Amino acid sequence: MTSSQSKPLTILVWLARLALGGIFIYAAWTKLRDPWLLFAMAIDAYHVLPQWAVMVVARTLPWFELVLGLVLISGKLPRISSVAASVLLAVFFGLMVQAYAKGETIACGCFGPGEAISPITLLRDGSLLAGALFLAVVSFWPKKPRYERPAEYGGAANPGRSRLSAGETR
Amino acid sequence: MSPGGYNKRDMRLSVYLLLATLPVLAGAGDIDRGKAFGNPAAPLTIELFSDFQCPACRQLHLQQLPLIMRDYVNTGKAYLVYKEFPLQMHSHSREAAVLACASARIGKYEQVADVLFQAQPSWEESGKVFETVASVLSPAEQKKVQALSKDPTVLAEVERDIQEGQQERINQTPTMVIIRNGRKYPIGGALNYDLLRRFFDDLISK
Repeated sequence: MTSSQSKPLTILVWLARLALGGIFIYAAWTKLRDPWLLFAMAIDAYHVLPQWAVMVVARTLPWFELVLGLVLISGKLPRISSVAASVLLAVFFGLMVQAYAKGETIACGCFGPGEAISPITLLRDGSLLAGALFLAVVSFWPKKPRYERPAEYGGAANPGRSRLSAGETR
Repeated sequence: MSPGGYNKRDMRLSVYLLLATLPVLAGAGDIDRGKAFGNPAAPLTIELFSDFQCPACRQLHLQQLPLIMRDYVNTGKAYLVYKEFPLQMHSHSREAAVLACASARIGKYEQVADVLFQAQPSWEESGKVFETVASVLSPAEQKKVQALSKDPTVLAEVERDIQEGQQERINQTPTMVIIRNGRKYPIGGALNYDLLRRFFDDLISK
């Protein structure tokens, strides 16, 4: 993925990965430091899952967020990690928008207890979703076709390599 | 002048000043008494930051709170302290909070809170907050509450609750701050009582 990207885009991708990965790790930590039932109550307040599923999600999601954050930061599995982050954040964002539109005064549950859904939390999660989608799109970006050198200049080669080769032969 | 640098008149003045502050100090201790229920030495302390005009607070007060009172407060497992947190977006909630605090001074907080939440849709529209409160008070109590609602210490009590809420970074009502062994766990919104009960039991068992 990186070999065909321009330098500013590569830097942007790495910054987005580090930021998103760091945020996922922080989100996991805020949930894992408190009793898991607090997070279960936050999930239950959305009224989208039966209680047994609330329990399963409350116990597993923080660990999933932690692993996802670490994978994002490591730069491994870019397609899987960016798509997983996009799907997860899209679900969170959709649920939050739905609850806010209904006028429900519930806790967001994003970074531990005690944070109500508000335009600020929606803007924040929307921005994170945009960042994850950006990473997903870039990870599936088709690689640049190799530049074919016209025959009169020595045949097919990568322009960068050809300059080096030319320098070496001179 | 005495050897310590004070004369008798100064000492007498100091004693008078100290005596004059005693009723105030005693009153400060009483402020929360009418708004707190259960055993102060209970393993859990629940600080409930609430707004009388908020629908989610109404839901919590009418549905979950009676269960919390039955299972934890009345059994000595939890100490419940009401805190006023009137939101600026609600035009009558501050008036309701002041009247409730004034009622606490005559031991009628629970009754007044009950009627304010039960009749919330009505007084929210009509603005008849005092009339709602008066419905659970005798004429003599109504006069006392009316007078107390202008008492600077009652107004200061509401302000103090709001400031405490801001310090706790409360950003929604209702919010219950559960305190166990010095650690605080804020829980916002109306809740599933089954999960809340499991959480309380889990904390108490630790």
